[in-house]
Amino acid sequence: MKPVPDISARAAAPPPSRPWLRTAGVAALLAIYAALPFLLGKYAIYTAAQVMIYAVATLGLDIVYGRAGQLSLAHASFFGLGAYVAALADPLALPLWAQPEAVLLLAIIAGGIVAVPTLRLSGLRLSLVTLLFGELFTWGINHSSSLTGGSEGITVNPLTIGGFDSQDALHAYLLAGALASGATLLAVQLGRSQYGRRMLAVRDSELASVSVGIPVVRTKIVAFIMSAVFAAVAGWVYAYVVGFVSPTTFDLFGSVNFMVAVILGGSGRVLGAWFGAAYIVLVPEAFTSLGYPNLFPILGGGVLIAVALLLPGGLVEGASLLLSAAAKRARA
Amino acid sequence: MIQAGALGLNAVSVRFGGIAAVSEVTLAFAPGTINGLIGPNGAGKTTLLNAISGFAAVSSGRIDLDGAEITAMATAARARRGVVRGFQTVRLLEQESVFDNVLVGCERLPQPDLLVQLLNLPAQRRCRSRDLDAAAQIVAGLGLGPVAQRPVAELPFASRRLTEIARVLVVRPTVLLLDEPAAGLDTRDRHALTETLAAYHASDPFTMLVVEHDVDLVRRLCPHCVALEMGRVIAAGPPAAVLDDARVQRAYFGTGGHA
Repeated sequence: MKPVPDISARAAAPPPSRPWLRTAGVAALLAIYAALPFLLGKYAIYTAAQVMIYAVATLGLDIVYGRAGQLSLAHASFFGLGAYVAALADPLALPLWAQPEAVLLLAIIAGGIVAVPTLRLSGLRLSLVTLLFGELFTWGINHSSSLTGGSEGITVNPLTIGGFDSQDALHAYLLAGALASGATLLAVQLGRSQYGRRMLAVRDSELASVSVGIPVVRTKIVAFIMSAVFAAVAGWVYAYVVGFVSPTTFDLFGSVNFMVAVILGGSGRVLGAWFGAAYIVLVPEAFTSLGYPNLFPILGGGVLIAVALLLPGGLVEGASLLLSAAAKRARA
Repeated sequence: MIQAGALGLNAVSVRFGGIAAVSEVTLAFAPGTINGLIGPNGAGKTTLLNAISGFAAVSSGRIDLDGAEITAMATAARARRGVVRGFQTVRLLEQESVFDNVLVGCERLPQPDLLVQLLNLPAQRRCRSRDLDAAAQIVAGLGLGPVAQRPVAELPFASRRLTEIARVLVVRPTVLLLDEPAAGLDTRDRHALTETLAAYHASDPFTMLVVEHDVDLVRRLCPHCVALEMGRVIAAGPPAAVLDDARVQRAYFGTGGHA
């Protein structure tokens, strides 16, 4: 006896995502990406590259916090881990071919270590322990100044391959674009995979998760490691593009900054990470160019409170509300 | 054709401090049977389900699934072997759609490695479309089709209850444990639920253990029935006989006669 009629089964499946719409959207983004270098000046292009690099790191935090629901305050130190691989490549005579492997390996180890407390802790206690790891990282950098330059920071020689130079604005833009599109595809695909589903389940109900057989601890560890890998790879490129790193970029304030990006953009959403990254890069930049660099932290706090209260889904939700309101108007 | 789902409890006790919530319970559930679990409040019904599913630690005794001991196995590991429970108060991913809530249950279907999933290789695409089909079938079968894409937080209780049952069914349980599945449903929904469960069971038999206060539902759904009182089994057999048993009557109504 088959209790299920096949026709209604099809009705329950997710609505076919209009493929032409997706193709059109991707084509539009690619067109904008290709057009920007012709429209913007060198500095703006360089800033756009930074937005894309920060988007990769923010996508990483969105995996562990937005999807798996684990509050991590060590994210900037994963970013820093990658950055210091680039910064120390010359002093340590690390050849280029070995650097991506080193970044991946360090990120996997660091992500795994930070994830260990999830075996026993969750919520705020867990985030306090992640904070400890973050502090240890900056402490370690500050206390090995003969190698890392300590709190003074260290300049990073550009990555050059043939005619490519990572500190040329256009080249940086291309490098960051390639990295960011890869990271975005991975994040989108994660949302369509079993691991992505597991993360949402662990975030929302650990009881429900174990009751269907989801390995909760393993899911959290995978989330931490993936977030560390995204951040470290982004940090590695960041150092090569910016040409200078110092521990202040990777301290608690840096981690909180990434958290702001995730929450403000819209946690658990790929597009949200992009909005958030654009916010944390462009808004301070705008205040600096207006001559009020100190306004950002003050105004930023206010904006964060407003978004948290009025738009729990972040800027993405705001944008989609605006779009649907506009569509209603157009129809009326 | 029934092979899996033989559940054996041997002198199982669950103690919280000095209180024995379940004491010395010995029961055997044959593969593919539907069993009702009744008893007054505090009789230990939920605790017994917790002991079987691994949510409560067994103090003494042993639990076997198809001849293999699972007494100390982790909950998730039991679920991967097919021992799955639903909750008295539904546990859902509130912001996600009905469909995605059900999809979460596709844990017993083989899945490719993480990297294969992330790179969307052909194996991942095959598994994903298989998962979508499995979830869609069950969502439609439980009549959730019209609300499949709505976030569960917006839905009335009956749909939320059904969503949880759909998530449990998509796991393809060998032993299904339900804790008062009909609680909070009106008569019509109760009937629909009973029929759906019976239909699923008939199409793909699994061992079912249902805690339920609705005597009518127990009579219609469960050929076998176990009554608990104060953590002990006081009667077992066909529902009519168990419900008529003098001790069961006393446990429920405090008298020896018919109420």
